[in-house]
Amino acid sequence: MFLTREQERMLNGEYGWAVAKAMAIIVKTGEVLGASRLVEISHAHVSGVSYTNILDPGLDFVRRLFLSGGRARVYTTINPGCVDYSGLSSLIDGSFNEKQAVIDESLIRMGFKPVFTCIPYYHRPPSQGEFLAWGESSAIAVANSYYGASSNREGGPLALAAALTGYTYYAGLHIPENRVARVVVRVDPSASRNPGALGLWIGENIREIPLLKGFNPPLWDLKIMLAASAASGSHAFIAVEKITPRGFYKVDPLEKVEVEWRDLEKYIGLEPSGGSVLGYLGCPHLHPWEFHLVYEYVKRRGRLPGRNRLLLTIPLEVYERYRDKVLYLRSLGVDVAAGTCPVVSRLTRRFDHLVTNSGKAVFYLSKQLKINYYLTETRRVLEIVYA
Amino acid sequence: MSTLRLQVKVLVDGDCRAPLYLYNGYVSFFGEVDPVNGLHRATGEGISGKAFAFKGGRGSTVGSYVIYALKYYGKQPACLLVEEVEPIIVTGCVMADIPLFQVEKGFLSKIGFKRGLLVHERGSNYVEIEYE
Repeated sequence: MFLTREQERMLNGEYGWAVAKAMAIIVKTGEVLGASRLVEISHAHVSGVSYTNILDPGLDFVRRLFLSGGRARVYTTINPGCVDYSGLSSLIDGSFNEKQAVIDESLIRMGFKPVFTCIPYYHRPPSQGEFLAWGESSAIAVANSYYGASSNREGGPLALAAALTGYTYYAGLHIPENRVARVVVRVDPSASRNPGALGLWIGENIREIPLLKGFNPPLWDLKIMLAASAASGSHAFIAVEKITPRGFYKVDPLEKVEVEWRDLEKYIGLEPSGGSVLGYLGCPHLHPWEFHLVYEYVKRRGRLPGRNRLLLTIPLEVYERYRDKVLYLRSLGVDVAAGTCPVVSRLTRRFDHLVTNSGKAVFYLSKQLKINYYLTETRRVLEIVYA
Repeated sequence: MSTLRLQVKVLVDGDCRAPLYLYNGYVSFFGEVDPVNGLHRATGEGISGKAFAFKGGRGSTVGSYVIYALKYYGKQPACLLVEEVEPIIVTGCVMADIPLFQVEKGFLSKIGFKRGLLVHERGSNYVEIEYE
């Protein structure tokens, strides 16, 4: 691989152990993936922040990079941790507070922005054509598919390495010739109404880059679909007609498929009848706009009935800005957790049913909690917890 | 006993001599692999010390840390064999120094046996699989 003199000096340890270690991870990963050079990035987003996800090995790795002098060389944001940073949630288990604090302190003192969110594009929407090194599979797909800025599906440690060097390897989706949609997917209107299930279907059934036609949702529903397809599959980029900037990709279709409601039915689970229900919205995190919609609905309906609970997960900054609203929601029995989510943390209690709009949450939580689930649209989640 | 010699693309090199565990599907190391016990949750099979062959990665970018954690807890597979390569698995194998090989697409669907012993010597561009 071609390295500039500066990059070579980084690799050789002239910038310290942390930078050399980071550079080695990038160069080796890049060589395996066929990169001939590195590319400068404008934003790194680091995943693998939660203690319950990365455990002691990850904690040690992050801590060692910090203690040996690793510092952000580029704008860097971080993913959710495993504790609720508002300190008010009774559903998110806070028992790993101390371990999480060690990780957080290391990341913050390396100069990363402590946003603790999986929607970094809320803090800094990338502009078209930028090179990014993002972890967090759902955010990567939004960067490519919605903003037309390129990121590969970087593993957590590689995104961290990119933050410490300012570079990533030039391969995969950074190269325009690789951004070619091969499968045209016509989405029937019946399938558009459940973006979480649509995403799970795409992830399981399509391997090439798809071009979606007939699916034209707002960003909030698009992120639900992309998050699900990046969980059940490995999609970093889904071209969406009328949404993805046109210059970002080419179309060379080998195959055409159609998806309609009956294809999605196997992903939605069962609507609960009896038993305790956990309604969950915020995977990926709620954007303020969605938060306000939920807030208005809850305000109108009042206190949650019976044993049902509703959990919302939001970026830390949304909590800080709308603290009064969060407290009001809590007074009505709605649990709001900031800077975390159930996928990267543990819950304090068990429920019989999970009802959510998130295919990603279903993919991971049905495995972790062995819980019955029902995957439906946002409004239906709210109606069910209030039933 | 027969031996199958298979051309592979060596992505992370290293010696490997281990019983083969074949899984004809995709794996998200985060969520689908338990790093503390070295288990593949989808089947409950242990992957520690095995040559773990699967189609490719999917899911969370935390997967690299899970591969690294497998090594840290001494539960790592002896090597990985995949049909499709993606950055999350590559970075994990680079960090944990676990040999990683790529075989042609369709290998897992075509293969006619379930158990075997996979052997690879550092520097060669093939693996040998001994099976009954």
